[in-house]
Amino acid sequence: MSVANCSQFLNQLEQWMEGQRPPDAQSHLRSCPTCQGLVEDLSSIEQTARSMGATETAPPDRLWASLRAQLEQEGIIRTEAHGWIQGVIHWFDGVLSAVPRPALAGAYLVALVGISLALAGPGYRRSNWNDNATRPLSAQLEAEQDTLAGVASDPAVTASLEKNLAIVDNYIALCEKSVQEDPENEIARDYLYGAYQQKAELLAEMSERGAGQ
Amino acid sequence: MERLTHRIGGCVPTGSVARARRTETTGEIPESESIRLAQRGDAAAFERLYQQHSRRVYSLCLRMVGNTAEAEDLTQEAFLQLFRKISTFRGESAFSTWLHRLAVNVVLMKLRKKSGKETSLEQVTEPDDEAGGPRRDFGAADLKLTGSLDRVNLQRAVDQLPPGYRAVFVLHDVQGYEHNEIAEIMGCSIGNSKSQLHKARMRLRELLHEEIREKAREERRAAGSASNSED
Amino acid sequence: MTAQTQPPLGIPRSWKTASVLLPCLVLMSAGPALGDRIERHFKVESHPIVTIHNPTGTVTVRAWTKAEVLVIAKRATDRVEVDTEQNANRVEISTRQIPDNASPNDLRADFEINVPEDTELQIHDDSGGVNVSNVLGDMNVETIGAEVALEDTAGFLSVNTVDGGFQCSRCAGRIEAHSISGNFRFAEMRSYHVHAQTSEGNIFFSGEFFPSGIYQLKNYSGVIEVRFQPGDSFDISATSLKGKVNNEAKLTPSSHHHSLRGVGNALFGSMNTGRAKVELSSFDGTINILKRD
Repeated sequence: MSVANCSQFLNQLEQWMEGQRPPDAQSHLRSCPTCQGLVEDLSSIEQTARSMGATETAPPDRLWASLRAQLEQEGIIRTEAHGWIQGVIHWFDGVLSAVPRPALAGAYLVALVGISLALAGPGYRRSNWNDNATRPLSAQLEAEQDTLAGVASDPAVTASLEKNLAIVDNYIALCEKSVQEDPENEIARDYLYGAYQQKAELLAEMSERGAGQ
Repeated sequence: MERLTHRIGGCVPTGSVARARRTETTGEIPESESIRLAQRGDAAAFERLYQQHSRRVYSLCLRMVGNTAEAEDLTQEAFLQLFRKISTFRGESAFSTWLHRLAVNVVLMKLRKKSGKETSLEQVTEPDDEAGGPRRDFGAADLKLTGSLDRVNLQRAVDQLPPGYRAVFVLHDVQGYEHNEIAEIMGCSIGNSKSQLHKARMRLRELLHEEIREKAREERRAAGSASNSED
Repeated sequence: MTAQTQPPLGIPRSWKTASVLLPCLVLMSAGPALGDRIERHFKVESHPIVTIHNPTGTVTVRAWTKAEVLVIAKRATDRVEVDTEQNANRVEISTRQIPDNASPNDLRADFEINVPEDTELQIHDDSGGVNVSNVLGDMNVETIGAEVALEDTAGFLSVNTVDGGFQCSRCAGRIEAHSISGNFRFAEMRSYHVHAQTSEGNIFFSGEFFPSGIYQLKNYSGVIEVRFQPGDSFDISATSLKGKVNNEAKLTPSSHHHSLRGVGNALFGSMNTGRAKVELSSFDGTINILKRD
């Protein structure tokens, strides 16, 4: 559309301000002081606004304090009661920061793989089996278990998680006994490894629920 | 009271925003890590996210509402909504875009309440001509803004804009968002964003010209009173 | 009502007022509103993604023919808030609980959701129940104690529970199911790959064994029961470390029972031409390979 008058220029003004400069619009602008004034005004507004945006104002410090208090009251921020667990989680997370959820279970699995490789290694003999093979992980899992009891907000969910933790512990005990009796029994080792894996995933689940609820 | 955060209106965002307005790290901890830890309730992670984004959000709220007390309330409300929902963030869009969308929604709802009307998001971005559409009025050539325009009177004029115009203008011209980002934040089309920006600027020009005319009238009145008293 | 207005029929004004106020006072003292219903519609294109995060309450998902996601939520009290959000072709539904000394029943929200049949679903529900029917997209379901029931579904189905049971009827595609004490029941199955593991729960399987299909059922204790038809074709290995293996299938070789190093039982063999692969494993439970009725 050719621009012969101010009304037509006005119709194209939005595109002009976005940088489109058709020759006929330029020609009109050269000869029309009114439209020149309009374009200069809009440019001044744009530039002044940009200068406003160059500085950002920080909110007062009390805003974070107030926000944090509200988040703690709603349970969105976990309190220091689980600080130890948080420390453990951070340590594992540092080991496997790229592992998708459950990150904790993935971290435990790294330890489990190490143990299972030790259990499954060639020439593994009965005399090699002792509690030292699984003691570090077992102790770690038990310690976390003690701290995690009752973290979920729903009592039914808490009870379910605790009940199933006991079930898995029972299987771990049974599998450990089997492996002790017959260390070369691959099936027993496979079940023991699986039981540890389940426990790790369950503890990770309990930990996340305690954090997120 | 029912709390709904679904987007009103038919505008659908055109995709995630790739722009990074600032580096996404605070110290040595990437923002994605802070988000992940915050999703597990870590207080330090929440604080990091707050410190990283609070200036921008507060500045946005301040420019939208024009006073510090309301801006503080709105900033707190925006972060509260964000942190309550953080467990649902799955990374489809940039975290900052998500946050600013929440903040703009919070501000627009506040402005709607203040205006006393229940309006949809579409309505606040498409005001009718009587409510504030720009008139096709050039004004006099001698009322150029250049030289008389500063941040103070521009902010005063922005405070008089309808909410939808105000939001797009502040996001684009003041805070520097691109139209595709504004479209995602506001839940409208890119074309809509451009159109609203143009209308906002035209309306601001009218408001600023009116202020200049009013100032000139007052000066004339003052000069007239002074000459009468001398007589 | 002005000072000159007279109530009809000579009824004292104070009685009229009381007759209006009293029910209101009773309702106000009854506590937060129950059965609050929320309905939302979302237009979607093909293969939408719907995510539901609902800690307490039921989630029922059905397929329909519309290019739309319909969400109907019923919440018990205002202590639970329902959020819905659409980003392009993704619809996110979540509930947020405000505990504040509320009982679990106060925090309950039940959902009924209609989706296009090619929808991908991600569902998280701790306690309540999850029911999905006729949805053919991939699915990921995680619960603690909520029971999961899928009917006429397909795609890649991943189900994880702690002690919630899982029932799957006429399901196709690929299925991965894990639980600690939940029971699994697979009936009239049309799946080419089933991997199901539960520690203390029972596993029941009945359905088609597709050529090159893989069917792995594993538990620590409890019963694993597989039903077959005479025309089925599969290779089978069934192992129970400390329990029993009972078999009615005609396998070749015919006498193929093994005693595992003096402990437990194992069974290996082929039914007909052995085209599918069936692996049954238990620590100290019982494995039954039985004819279908």
